[in-house]
Amino acid sequence: MKKFYIFALALSAFCISSCDKEDIDDKDDYKNILQNLGNDVILSTYAELDAKTIDLVAALTALETSPSATNLEAARQAWRDARVPWEQSEGFLFGPVDQQGIDPAIDSWPVNQPDLDAVLASSNALTKAYIDGLDGTLKGFHTIEYLVFGIDGNKQMGDFTPRQFEYLRACAQSLEGATQQLYYAWKPEQNNFINNVISAGEAGNTVYPSQKAALEEVVAGLVTIADEVANGKINDPLSQQNADLEESRFSSNSKQDFADNIRSIKNAYIGIYKNTTGLGLSHIIAAKNATLDTKVKQQIDEAIAAIENIEGTFTSAIFNAIPSVENAQQKVRTLQQTIESEVLPIISNL
Amino acid sequence: MKRHFFLLMLISTILVGCKPDEDILLEDEDLNLGGATSISGTYIQAFQQPAANLSTAELDLHREADKAFGDIFVTAPNTINGGLGPIFNQNACENCHVSNGRSPFPTDGNDLRGLLFRLSIEGIGSHGEPLAAPNYGGQLQTKATFGKTPEAQLTWYEVEEIKTFIDGEQITLSKPVFSIVNPYLPIPPNMMMSPRMAPPVIGLGLLEAIRESDILALADPDDADNNGISGKVNRVWDVKNQQTTVGRFGWKAGQPNLLQQSAAAYNQDMGITNPYFAQENSYGQTQGDALADDPEIDDITLKAAAFYAQSLGVPQRRNTTDPSIISGKELFMQIGCGNCHHPKFITGQHSEYAFLSNQKIYPYTDLLLHDMGEGLADNRPDFEANGNEWRTPPLWGLGLTKTVGGQQANYLHDGRAKTLQEAIMWHGGEAENSKENFSNLSKTEREAVIKFLESL
Repeated sequence: MKKFYIFALALSAFCISSCDKEDIDDKDDYKNILQNLGNDVILSTYAELDAKTIDLVAALTALETSPSATNLEAARQAWRDARVPWEQSEGFLFGPVDQQGIDPAIDSWPVNQPDLDAVLASSNALTKAYIDGLDGTLKGFHTIEYLVFGIDGNKQMGDFTPRQFEYLRACAQSLEGATQQLYYAWKPEQNNFINNVISAGEAGNTVYPSQKAALEEVVAGLVTIADEVANGKINDPLSQQNADLEESRFSSNSKQDFADNIRSIKNAYIGIYKNTTGLGLSHIIAAKNATLDTKVKQQIDEAIAAIENIEGTFTSAIFNAIPSVENAQQKVRTLQQTIESEVLPIISNL
Repeated sequence: MKRHFFLLMLISTILVGCKPDEDILLEDEDLNLGGATSISGTYIQAFQQPAANLSTAELDLHREADKAFGDIFVTAPNTINGGLGPIFNQNACENCHVSNGRSPFPTDGNDLRGLLFRLSIEGIGSHGEPLAAPNYGGQLQTKATFGKTPEAQLTWYEVEEIKTFIDGEQITLSKPVFSIVNPYLPIPPNMMMSPRMAPPVIGLGLLEAIRESDILALADPDDADNNGISGKVNRVWDVKNQQTTVGRFGWKAGQPNLLQQSAAAYNQDMGITNPYFAQENSYGQTQGDALADDPEIDDITLKAAAFYAQSLGVPQRRNTTDPSIISGKELFMQIGCGNCHHPKFITGQHSEYAFLSNQKIYPYTDLLLHDMGEGLADNRPDFEANGNEWRTPPLWGLGLTKTVGGQQANYLHDGRAKTLQEAIMWHGGEAENSKENFSNLSKTEREAVIKFLESL
């Protein structure tokens, strides 16, 4: 035993002198990935979300100031545009979005229609501060959606009241406040939550004791959103044959929402966001199992395509084109299973 | 690199193998705090993972149940999810149980996050329960649907006291002193108020599966063994079976099982009537909803919400072979913490779910009530728990509190302790000796105890 121990010590001395470089290289590899996931995927998404809600404030302010069909259509488009980065952020719904209680102010669903009617009928001043103080179900994306598109999605200019225009503008301001809070929570120059991801495993990091833990976080987020799309957002209205259970029904934006949720997975997996290409989980998986990497990428694209190929609106498809909805659901489930049972174990064994 | 890694592994194996005893291996046994439900993961979503030993069908059920836990309620009548309020604390389970863990301590009285207040006046009801406060009921609802009035708002200030360890190091303990502002009706004289932070929801199914006889065996109400610690069983009202039974859940063990616990939370926290509690939380008060829509959720939804908690995984311990953590655990037991924070149980047969049965678990609780002294007292009885008594909370997942809830997620029933060391130093009453023992440890030893707690 003693002899063996000396041998081991010698080996360890050898290792300390010769492994260091490689250790650092290896660590740097993951750090590069985390850095890219943090900066190019997560932070850019939140920056984009905040920029788009600023545009939404402008569009709804214009609609309040000069109501017109053109301004209404611009407001609807601004809502759709702001929705994209939010849905693309749902693959990483962890950290400040929950801890600071921001999610309810952005994406509470369903809309509290009885209370909304009552607020509109009241004489309460509709300021941003007032809206900030309301429950999530009276503000955020879906309240704006409900008021801008109408319960059947075909609201006309004549259907609006001056109070609704006021409410919409204040609601957009409140939403922008929430998206800014979220962006600033992550932003290095502000509260710098992003540093927890980037510096995972380094001394002083109070969130992630290892890079692996931060990577597992990212993968867990991907599993969650795939599950939510397949087994919640698609399944609830489909299995219960009830369009009221569809999340973005007023705007008929559900297919876009679902596809953007899967793009959220794609962005984190491949490490791209918009025109920035970097490192993602794919970089790790490809090195361990190139076949799996190809499969994941393919399943992501197939899921997006299947969602986009749902016939007509989602509202109509759950009654009239069920096979196309089931096909999309199955593709997302397959992707979820692959991430959960094949990608996650590789990350957990790093 | 792979080869070098293998060599390093070999060396660490050798180093471990050379140790004179098998401590490390023994300690390693409690890696899986939640038995076969345990999941690995040291990250923010660690409390949101399904138990590792669910069957495919159970996993599907868990995912289904997840939605019930996430459902947001709105004012009735509404096409979906109606029934909120008229007075409530939060509109969804997860708005108190943030990421299934403890919420950050509130920053202002307008949104109390996971904090609420139980209320009562002196006396007991026909089933031994606390007497509801006139016009306020058993809980202060700090939000209301539009047109109704929140029962009150809260304000607080902090009082501080300084404690000194044996080596002269000092620690400042602070405690929020709450008071009611803007009451919707006059506050009844002598109304008692107990602050409660929503606890993490992991491991609850396993606690439910602990045999009643095992809990009773640990009880020592008259301190017959004369160790200064007298664990007491709370006897509470089982609504479904209409009988008194052992309390297990809640800060004072006021609820006998998870279905009833969930039903009470739906009713009191969200104003959602259900098969267990079919009357609005404002029943008998001035703010009803005047709708004949009760119960607002059915048995299936209620069961789903409970099942979600029952079927979550408990995160594994971390760094169990770290020598200072091993010594921290030894110290934890030596100074008497384990007398109440009972480390280990083998669960019995769970009445419904086999994956919870026969599990070797390490919850670090005896599920019993203990007098924790004046400093922690809420001075509000709850069934057989007196105003000084609290149920020993489980410690599994403790080290992930701030990972999950953020740096402002604190400890103890009212979230007063910002660090684990503060939480320990608030212990009194039956835990006075253990607390004294802790403050007489060296700094290194104290840190080891903390590191052990952080490994849970």
